[in-house]
Amino acid sequence: MNAPMIEVKPMISIRGLSKTYAGGVRALNNVSIDVAPGEFLVILGPSGAGKSTLLRCINRLVEPSQGQVFHNGTEITGHRSDLRAIRRQFGMVFQQFNLVKRLSVLVNVLAGRLGYRSVLRSLFYSFPEADKRIAIECLARVNMEHKAFQRADTLSGGEQQRVAIARALAQQPTVILADEPVASLDPKIARQVLGYLRQVAQELGITVLCNLHQVDYAKEFSERVVGMSRGSVVFEGASSELTDEVLHRIYYREPGETVKEEA
Amino acid sequence: MSTATFELAIAGTLAEELQRRMRRRTKALIWATATIAVLWFTAAQIGLNPIALAKGIPFMADFFSRMFPPDLTHLPLLRDATVETIQIAVWGTLIAILLSVPFALLGAKNTTPHPIVFHATRLFLNALRAINELVFALIFVAAVGLGPFAGVLAIALHATGMLAKFCAEEIEGVDRGPIEAMQAAGAGRLQVILFGIVPQVIPAFISYSIYRFDVSIRAATILGLVGAGGLGFSLIKTMKLFKYHETATCILVIFVIVLISDWVCARVRARIL
Repeated sequence: MNAPMIEVKPMISIRGLSKTYAGGVRALNNVSIDVAPGEFLVILGPSGAGKSTLLRCINRLVEPSQGQVFHNGTEITGHRSDLRAIRRQFGMVFQQFNLVKRLSVLVNVLAGRLGYRSVLRSLFYSFPEADKRIAIECLARVNMEHKAFQRADTLSGGEQQRVAIARALAQQPTVILADEPVASLDPKIARQVLGYLRQVAQELGITVLCNLHQVDYAKEFSERVVGMSRGSVVFEGASSELTDEVLHRIYYREPGETVKEEA
Repeated sequence: MSTATFELAIAGTLAEELQRRMRRRTKALIWATATIAVLWFTAAQIGLNPIALAKGIPFMADFFSRMFPPDLTHLPLLRDATVETIQIAVWGTLIAILLSVPFALLGAKNTTPHPIVFHATRLFLNALRAINELVFALIFVAAVGLGPFAGVLAIALHATGMLAKFCAEEIEGVDRGPIEAMQAAGAGRLQVILFGIVPQVIPAFISYSIYRFDVSIRAATILGLVGAGGLGFSLIKTMKLFKYHETATCILVIFVIVLISDWVCARVRARIL
């Protein structure tokens, strides 16, 4: 495996990361990856390969069993220092969008600012003017500002995901973790959403780690791809190097192997 | 698959279906017999007797005839008691709504600070619901004296048990996605509750609260039986004095209040949700 030459200091550096869940399922097995600042990295693999667990170990929605994660040279695993401060560095985008359906689009995006705000202020659902500015600006970046006052559940799937991207941007993160962001969308909308994600990341210099299971999108939207299978990295290279042999390595299963769907 | 094995597989599944159906039928028969036996035995124990009921009809008719016609001149005297009944229901329900929010959060698996707190809260809420308003009213009449305040406390406690339990179950049923999103954004515990959970449970909570107000009105009409204020006191007083025409007036007023409350609650619910 020929890892690309990274001259600059990596934005994310993952070293020997493993995760074994309480039930004994080994979701991650000694994973090491470097991600350059501003890179759009696709993590490709079938359901159950450990992609979701990997992303959640980075912002510690899941505590890794072993290994380290460095963010901009600082270790963010292993100590309980300030989880809020760590998490707000990482915007997250989910397969099911995870918007609060009954709240307006604007308030959903403002929720991305919660990591910076005191509990007391949140008690009254109020945000400073500066936060409102940020939120509307982020909505404008995904062309959704005209729906700011609509309830989130009145939007289509693609629109909801764009709002979710705006929410992640509102955190003013250095990294966006996108967990199967287009798995619930049809191909046309999926391309549009991935296009927005890549565009805003480029404009703002945000590093993106994007889980996908569709090879086509990986080839189309990223230069570098990490292939995962059964908790391990089985490929790392340019998306043009995704040959049939490589894809076989990523997607091959032992006969009779059962797949546990990722949450 | 060859035709022969195909046919064999179908025949096998058909046979199994028949077998399962027979087993289900036997089971249903056994349960039905047992249930009927228990019910029959219970009926004998509690003296369920249609003949006694038939014999009682003349006495009932006599009772109703003494109540009829309701003494409407008594109506103005019931004005204060009626207002008091509604006041007891309003304050009892309001206090219950305020109390049930923290108890619901402590008694929901996904928001409780600790499993021990969860179990303790649920036990406490079950106790509140197990004890009838009338029983609470007896206790509070002894504690704070005769009058509507005892009634308010009685309704507040019993209603808290119900509202908090319903709300806790609603909290446990929320979509986990938004919660995970808030956590990922760096939100603290209380912020996750405020932004991820509260918006999801608020419609159901309002609906339960309105329903509970309706129930409180009905409860408040009888609390006076034990001296905790409201129309119940007039009811028991006129009955004890054998002024059955006035008793009838009380029952009439209670009936009208319940009707109006039912109608108003239905309107409000339709308006809000």
